[in-house]
Amino acid sequence: MYKDSLTYIYKNDKEIKGDLNKALQREINLARNIQSSLLNGKTPTFDGGEVCGASLPARLIGGDYYDFYPLVNGKIRIVIGDVMGKGIPAAMLMILTRGAFRSAAESTQSPGETLTAMNQAIYNDLKTLKSFVTLFCADWDPNTSTLTYANAGHNPPLYINGKSNSIEELPKIKGIMVGGLPNQVYKEQSVELNDEDTVFFYTDGIVEAINKDGEQYKLDRLISTLEQNKEKVVGDIERAVMESINKFTAGVPQKDDITMVLLKISKQKADITSLNSPVFS
Amino acid sequence: MSLVIKKETKNTTMTLKFIGILDISTTNEIVPYLNEIDNNLKELSLDFSEIEFIDSTGIGSIMNAIHLSQEKDFTLKFEGVNELTRQVFEMVGLYDILEAVQQEGLDV
Repeated sequence: MYKDSLTYIYKNDKEIKGDLNKALQREINLARNIQSSLLNGKTPTFDGGEVCGASLPARLIGGDYYDFYPLVNGKIRIVIGDVMGKGIPAAMLMILTRGAFRSAAESTQSPGETLTAMNQAIYNDLKTLKSFVTLFCADWDPNTSTLTYANAGHNPPLYINGKSNSIEELPKIKGIMVGGLPNQVYKEQSVELNDEDTVFFYTDGIVEAINKDGEQYKLDRLISTLEQNKEKVVGDIERAVMESINKFTAGVPQKDDITMVLLKISKQKADITSLNSPVFS
Repeated sequence: MSLVIKKETKNTTMTLKFIGILDISTTNEIVPYLNEIDNNLKELSLDFSEIEFIDSTGIGSIMNAIHLSQEKDFTLKFEGVNELTRQVFEMVGLYDILEAVQQEGLDV
C-alpha cells in the first residue's frame, strides 16, 4: 500500500481528534460528577418534618439548582433556582449561584436578604454573560411553624394542605430575577404550616416536560400526581413525581432540567439537628 | 417546531414578529436582526401574538433587546403578548426591567 506524507498526517489528525473527543468526554463526565456531588449533598434531618430534593438534567449536566442551609437559630433555609440556558454554560453559572447562596445564607437574616445579597454579588457577572437566574428562597422555622419566603422571578411552589387536601400555589410575592436589575430589595411573605402540610418547590422543566406528541406535562398532571401521593413521605412523593414524568415522556429527550424540593411537616416539633450548618448552639 | 421571524420596517421603526417557539433551539435566529440595528432606529416592536412557547433562553434574548435599546437609545415595545406569555414576563420581572430602562433610564 502506498503511503505519502499527507496520508500519514490525515491518520494522525483522526487519532488526535479521537483523543480530544475522549478527553472532552472524560472532562464532561468529571464535571457532571462534581455537579451531582454538589447538588446531592447532605440533606438536613430534623424533628417535626422532612425535606428532600432531586434534580435531573436534560443534558449531561444542567443549570437547575437547589440547596438546604441549616441556620444557627434552628431554621432551615431552602433555595431552588433555574439558570438561563442549558448544558455546560448553565452548569458553570449554577456553580456561581451556589457559591453566592452559601455565602449569603450565612451572612443574612432572611430569605429576602439572601436574594438581595445574591443579586448584589453576581449581578455584574450575569450581566456580562447576558444571563440570569430565577430563584425562590424560603426559611422554615420549626419553632413557630412558619415558612417565610421571597421570590426572584421563579414559579411559586405548590402548597398541599394536609387537612383539606387542597393543592394551590403559595400566595404570590413578586421579585425580579437575579441578574435582571441591580440593587433589588426582595419582599417577603409568610405562611403558617400545620401537621401533614407539604410544600412542593419545583422548576418549570417539570410542567414543560414533553411527550412524543409534543404535549406538555403541565400543572394539572403535577397536581394530580401530588394528590395521589400526598400521604407518602417526601422521598416517596419525589419518586412518584419522577415516575409520573418518566411515564409521560416515555424516553423523549427533554429540553429542560427537572428539579424539585419537598418540605413536609409532621406532628413532632423540635430543633433542627443536622448537617452542613457551620455552628450550632 | 421552529421560529419564523417577520421583519417590517417603516422609516425609523421596526417590528419583529415571532411565529412559533422561542427557546434554546431557535433564539440564535434573533441575533442577526438585533445585530443589524443601527443608531438611526427610534422604535423597535416585538410582536409575540403568534408565539406558542417561550423558555428562559427566549427570555434571555428579550433581555438582550432591552440592553440594546439602552445602548442604541431606541424605544422598545412588546405587542400581542398572550396571557401565558404575559404571566411568564410578569413572573421573571421583564416588564419591570423594561420600565426601569425605558422610563427611568436606569443603567442596567
